[in-house]
Amino acid sequence: MKSTKVSNLVLDILKFTILILGAIITMMPFVWMILSSLKTSSEITAIPPTFFPKDPQWSNYQEAWSRAPFLRYFVNTVIVAVGSTFGVLITTVLSAFAFSRLNFPGKKLIFSLLMATLMIPGEMLVITNYITVYNMKLEIGETRIMGIDSYGALIIPWIASVFYIYLLTQFFMQVPDAIYLAAKVDKCSDWKFMWKIMLPMNKQAVVTIGILNFISSWNAFMWPLLVTNDPNMRVLSNGLTQFQSEAGSDYQLIMAASCILVMPIIIIYLFLRKYIIEGVTRSGLKG
Amino acid sequence: MKKKIVATLLTAVMAASALAGCAQKVDPNADTAASKEATEETTQDATKEEAKTDETAAPEEKTIESCEIEFWHGMSNKQEEVLTQLTDEFNSSNEYGITVTLVNQGSYGDLSQKLQAAAAADGLPDMAQAYNNWLNPYIDKVVDLSDFVATDFDNYDDIIEAYRNECSEFGFVHALPFNKSTYVMFYNKTVLDELGLEAPKTWEDLTTIGEAYVEKYGNAAWGVDDLAGFVEASLRQNGEGYVDATGALFNTDGGLETMTYIMDLYNNGLARLVGEDKYFSNVLSAQAMLGYIGSSTGASYITADGWELGVCPVPSNKESAAYCAGTNLVMFTQDSNKQLAAWEYMKWLTSAEATVTWAVGTGYLPVRTSAYESAEYQEFMASDVTATAAYEQSDAFFTSLASYDASNDVRTAVAAKMEELILDETEPQDALDALVEEINAQF
Repeated sequence: MKSTKVSNLVLDILKFTILILGAIITMMPFVWMILSSLKTSSEITAIPPTFFPKDPQWSNYQEAWSRAPFLRYFVNTVIVAVGSTFGVLITTVLSAFAFSRLNFPGKKLIFSLLMATLMIPGEMLVITNYITVYNMKLEIGETRIMGIDSYGALIIPWIASVFYIYLLTQFFMQVPDAIYLAAKVDKCSDWKFMWKIMLPMNKQAVVTIGILNFISSWNAFMWPLLVTNDPNMRVLSNGLTQFQSEAGSDYQLIMAASCILVMPIIIIYLFLRKYIIEGVTRSGLKG
Repeated sequence: MKKKIVATLLTAVMAASALAGCAQKVDPNADTAASKEATEETTQDATKEEAKTDETAAPEEKTIESCEIEFWHGMSNKQEEVLTQLTDEFNSSNEYGITVTLVNQGSYGDLSQKLQAAAAADGLPDMAQAYNNWLNPYIDKVVDLSDFVATDFDNYDDIIEAYRNECSEFGFVHALPFNKSTYVMFYNKTVLDELGLEAPKTWEDLTTIGEAYVEKYGNAAWGVDDLAGFVEASLRQNGEGYVDATGALFNTDGGLETMTYIMDLYNNGLARLVGEDKYFSNVLSAQAMLGYIGSSTGASYITADGWELGVCPVPSNKESAAYCAGTNLVMFTQDSNKQLAAWEYMKWLTSAEATVTWAVGTGYLPVRTSAYESAEYQEFMASDVTATAAYEQSDAFFTSLASYDASNDVRTAVAAKMEELILDETEPQDALDALVEEINAQF
């Protein structure tokens, strides 16, 4: 009896030591980013490096913040990330449901065609998409809906993802036919079945897709830069280039700006932690 | 059976999409190549005609209708501030009601990608900053400025000769020089004084001083930020050619001599690669090396905390040769009124007054000889070691030939190959062969 307790304790200690070590290794880049954001430019490049800043430079944050209209960038980033995530969720859920549950002529062919587009690297589409967006100028009153310097250009090309459709289709297919047929017997329409049964059963997968899309949208750099000229339409990641030039970089300011940039994502993570962890462990996916 | 059909269809679709992809990728270039000459002629004719009307109108009064000019640039921080200040000055003082709008497009890399995409979509801005090697694919869309320069420019010969050559290397004046810099040698003067040595002037100095430093401190003494630029400058310093439209020109005895000099620096531990730091400014600031060759604009990134910064012209051999970097102003607008308006702005930015303000404010170099001689710049130089060193080597300025199609690839390939050769501690002769082969493979 006693010996099992002791061995349990030893096991626990071992387990936690490994976990703590793992946590430290994972946390290191973040901690380093935060500490570096408080150093002076000479301290950040000092050899040997210092771990804790000798004299924390809180003014780095102030200076980084003043180099670009980050508040405006922040608002734009939220609009774009929320907009594209909302769009992706709608298109993904609807098409995944169609591909997994409904029967219609050409289903397999359409699905194969979609799969085939996964083979085209995104870089190859950039110029083509740019030309399309450039030539589309849609304005309602004073607001530009589509074209250069519009939210439409930032959001619409990203509201459908074949990969997520494929992923969710696989999840939906795992729902047994019996449930679908039982619902049919109870006079449940396809529409109702999707919202009332299919979605709740695959909540984690849907949340995971939403989160992954939100993160990639939050981090997008090249496309927002391409389709905007007006600084008022740019996003946070564009602001980071303000600290680099042809001859050097202000690392301490980049770090300060990066801290500002990741903060909202960390906050979102804290709130949605449960879903992310469940989603990731179930789907075997991570960002 | 059904499966087989699906599989066949799938393959067909993939093949088709792949082909379509290729076609898209190849198309713009092929198109440009074919129509290059034709369009070039028409643009030239167009501008000529315009210049004629301009000339006839000149005796009376030049009329430009009020308009807005969009200018894409890649300047940030202090540089952007000074550019904005100069532009505001122009906007408020020009008599035609021209408004120039500055659009920051991120770094040079971002700007060049964006210009390329915009060229494909026919959405180029009225004006932009650009390096020559970006322009190859869409040089037909760049406005020929020859007539503007001939009829309406204040003393073109006053512009530094190397810049004039660079701005006409496509066979016509396609640009005006703007934010120009040159590679100089930054060094730790305090340590050099401790060693009782003078700043290096020749290749030999670089070796002997380097050896003394390594012996005392253990670290590698030297570094260069831009390997491709360093190789070209070294070849020129040895009286050799570099690369032209036919391929590498330095598979010669002089080329081998140059390669021996470069490889010995690295193989003997006198010089090191910059690696993840990207620029040596940080390494020098941390006093972990003696000196490096880098852009004169990098001075602001060096923090001399507890030591004194020295700057000297790049060490040379048979001849002196100093690499010039920095972009030029190009005009894309096809609207004749806007061309006149953009030209007013370009004239302003390259005027003696503006170029001095620009140079003093940013650390870039003036584009006019007269600007160097102006009292204001002389006063600035007296207190700025970098500007002094840059001026000392201004007779040796050269720019890299960029008007051949492979120029962009050659630049990237040389930098990557040199890094590889240095890491492998390659013998000079093998390094020369490998580098020549790599360059010729880009054509």
